[in-house]
Amino acid sequence: MGEGGLTSLTAVAAPPAPPSTVVRRRRRRRPVLPRLAHFASFGAPGVLVYLCFVMAPILISFGYSLTNYNPFHPPVKFVGFDNYRLLFTDSQFLTALQVTTILTLIVVIVPNVLGLGVALLLDRKGWLYNALRSVFFTPVILSSVVVSIVWSRLLDDRGPLNSLLRDLGVSHPPGWLSDPDVALYSVASIVCWQMLGFCVVVYLAGLQGVPPELLEAAEIDGAGPLRRFRAVTWPLLAPSLTINTVVLLISAFKTYDYVKVITNGGPGSGATATIAFDVLQTGFDSNHVGYASAMAVLMLVIVALVTTVVLNFLRRREVDL
Amino acid sequence: MRRFLALGAAVLLAVSACSVGSNTGGGGDAEITFLTFETPNLTPAYWDAAIKRVTDKNPGIKVKKLVAPTADGRTSYAKQLLQSGQFPDVMIAVDSAGFAEAGNLYAWTPEELKDFQFPQANPVNGKYYQLPANTQTIPPIYYNKKMFADAGIAAPPKTWDELVTDAGKLKDKGYAPFTIGGGKDGFPSSMILSGLVSTEVYNTMPDWLTQRRQDKVKFADPAFQHAFAKLADLAAKGYVDKTSVSRDYAATEQAFLDGQSAMYPMGNWFSANADSKKHDFEVGVFNFPTEDGKLVVPAYTGGGMIVNAKATNLDAARKFALGFQLDKDQLDASVKADGLFPAIKGYTPPPDVGATFKAGYDLYTQAVQQNAVVHAFRWETADDGLLPGMKDKVDQAAQDVITGRKPVADACAFLDTEWAKAG
Repeated sequence: MGEGGLTSLTAVAAPPAPPSTVVRRRRRRRPVLPRLAHFASFGAPGVLVYLCFVMAPILISFGYSLTNYNPFHPPVKFVGFDNYRLLFTDSQFLTALQVTTILTLIVVIVPNVLGLGVALLLDRKGWLYNALRSVFFTPVILSSVVVSIVWSRLLDDRGPLNSLLRDLGVSHPPGWLSDPDVALYSVASIVCWQMLGFCVVVYLAGLQGVPPELLEAAEIDGAGPLRRFRAVTWPLLAPSLTINTVVLLISAFKTYDYVKVITNGGPGSGATATIAFDVLQTGFDSNHVGYASAMAVLMLVIVALVTTVVLNFLRRREVDL
Repeated sequence: MRRFLALGAAVLLAVSACSVGSNTGGGGDAEITFLTFETPNLTPAYWDAAIKRVTDKNPGIKVKKLVAPTADGRTSYAKQLLQSGQFPDVMIAVDSAGFAEAGNLYAWTPEELKDFQFPQANPVNGKYYQLPANTQTIPPIYYNKKMFADAGIAAPPKTWDELVTDAGKLKDKGYAPFTIGGGKDGFPSSMILSGLVSTEVYNTMPDWLTQRRQDKVKFADPAFQHAFAKLADLAAKGYVDKTSVSRDYAATEQAFLDGQSAMYPMGNWFSANADSKKHDFEVGVFNFPTEDGKLVVPAYTGGGMIVNAKATNLDAARKFALGFQLDKDQLDASVKADGLFPAIKGYTPPPDVGATFKAGYDLYTQAVQQNAVVHAFRWETADDGLLPGMKDKVDQAAQDVITGRKPVADACAFLDTEWAKAG
C-alpha cells in the first residue's frame, strides 16, 4: 500500500481536517494532571534529594557567608557582604586562588592531551591492548588518599625516585614535595596520573563511535593519517573532549584530598593550598565558618561561570552525524 | 493477616531491642564514645589494652573507640564531629580551647582534680576542662652519641653558640646535624622554633602569649624575631635540611633512629621509642640550649581527657576519664609507651623504664627543683595558648624560613596577620 492508498482510506473514514487541528485535538484529549502526577512520581525523589543535599546546603552556606558565624563564639551577627570584601584583600585566599588556577590548567590540559594520545595508541584489537586499557584505567578506581600516600612515599627526598637519581649521579635531586616552587607541580602531576585513565576510556569510547566508512572515504580521497584525524576523527571526538574537560575542570577546582594528605597545604604558607583546602582549614581549624562559607560560595560562582563558558564553547564545536 | 501482624510486631520488637542495646550497650552497660589518635608510640593495641584495663575495673561501662585520621589533626577532627552532631563523649589530648567557651565541655570540680599535681593548669575563664594528666618537655634534643664522639664533641652543648659550633663540627664530619620533618604532620618542622621561643622569649616574659592575646606584644617584635632568626641561621648554614619539610612524623622519627642525622629536637615522648625500637647507636638527651647557658626547660602540662558536657552517659564518661588518668597500671603503660611524665601526686615511674626516658625524666626533675620550667611555645592550650588555627600557621612560618621562601621579618608579619584573622 502506497502513500496514496493511505490518504484515500483516511478520506473515506472522515472528512479531511487541517493537520494542525488534529494535533491540537489529540493534545486536548490527554488529561494534564495525571501526566504531571506521572512525571512527578519519577522526578520527585530525585528533585527532593537534589533540594535537600545540594540546594539547601548551598543556600545555608550563602546564609552563613553573610554572617560572622563561629560556632565557638556566639552570638552570630549579620555582616552583609563584608566577608566577600575581605576575601579580595586576603593574601592567603588570593594565593589559594592562584594555586587553584595553576592546578586546574595543568589538570585540564595534561590528562586530555595524554589521554587522547594513549587512546589513539590503544584503539586496536587484541589481548595486549585490552590489558593495557585495564592498566591505564586502574589508577582511576583507587582511592585518592591511597594514591596520595603512595606517591608521597615515592617522591620523598629519600624515597625511591631520588635514590635512583642519586645513583645516576644527580647530587641534588629536586625536592619534589619540599621545594615550594616544585611541590604544586608534583601534586598536579599526581592528580593527572590518576585522571589519565578516565580520559583514555572516554576518548576510546569516542573513537569507537567514529564510523569506519567515513575514514575509508577520506582515505580513498587521498587523505593521510594526520589529515584523516584532523578532518574526520577530531571533530567527532568533540563530545568526548567536552566530557573530559568539564569533569577535569570541576575535579581540579575542588581538589582537597591530595593536598591534605601529600603536603598539608605546604611546604610553608600555602605553596599548594587550594581554595577547597583553604575553605576547610578556615572553617574547621580556625572556626570561621562564615568567612569559609564566603570562600565556598565564591568558589561555586567561579566554577559555575568557568564551566558554563567552557561548556558553551565546546558544545559549539560538536557535530552530529 | 493475623500472621502478618504477628510477624510485624516481632520485627518491631527486635528493632526496638537492638536500638536500646546500641544506646547503652549490651546487658544494660552505659556506652560512651572515646576519641583517640594513633602515633608510632600509641598504637591501636596500646589504646585497646588501655580501654580494657579501665573497663575491667568499671564493668558497667562500654567504650566505643574512635580514632582521629591524623595524630596532629585530632582537635580539627573533634570540631568536625561536633559540627556534624557526633561530638564524642570522651576525648584525649584534644585542645579544649573553643569547645570549653561554647559550653561543650564538662568543667572538673576541685574534688575531682585533687589527685593531680598541677590542678590549675590550662584554665579557661577560671574553669578547668582538661585533666592535667601529664607533663611533656618540648623539646629536649636527642642525640646520636656515636656521631658526637666521631665529631670530637666531648659533652652536649649548654649554650646556643656551643650548639651551633657542634652542628658545624658534625657537618664537617659528614653528618646531617638536625632531623626535622613536616608534610602532613607539621609540628616536627617547628620543634626548633618552639625551643627557641620558649627558652629565649618566655625566659624573660613567661606570659608572652597572654600578652599577645591582649595585643601588648607582636610576633614582629624584636624579641620574637631574634629567636626566630636563629632558626633561619641554622637553615642558612645548611644544618637543617630544607628537603625534610615534606617528611611525615613517623618517617622523621625513623630517620633519626636509622642514623641519618645527629640531633633530633622532639618532645619527651620520643624516649619511649628510643628505648624500645631498634637502632645501632646510643641515644643521649640534653636540654634545649639557652643563649647564656641558664637552665630553662620548656614543658606543657595537660594533654589529658576532656568530657562532653552533653554526653548521654555523663557519669560514665567522667568515671572512665578519671579511671583512665589515675590508674597506676595505665600510667605505667603510658610511661613505657609514650614516655609521658604523669603529673599525678605521689606517682613515681616504674623501675624498669628505659635509659633514655630516665635521662629525660632526670633533666625535667632538676628543672622543677630549680623552678626553671617555662611554657612550651606552640603547645600551650586554653587562655594562655595560641588562637585556634594558629598552630598550623606557626608550622608554616617555620617551613617558610627553613626553605628560604620568606625572610624572618616576613614570616613574623605573616603570623601577626594570621593572628588578626584568627581573633
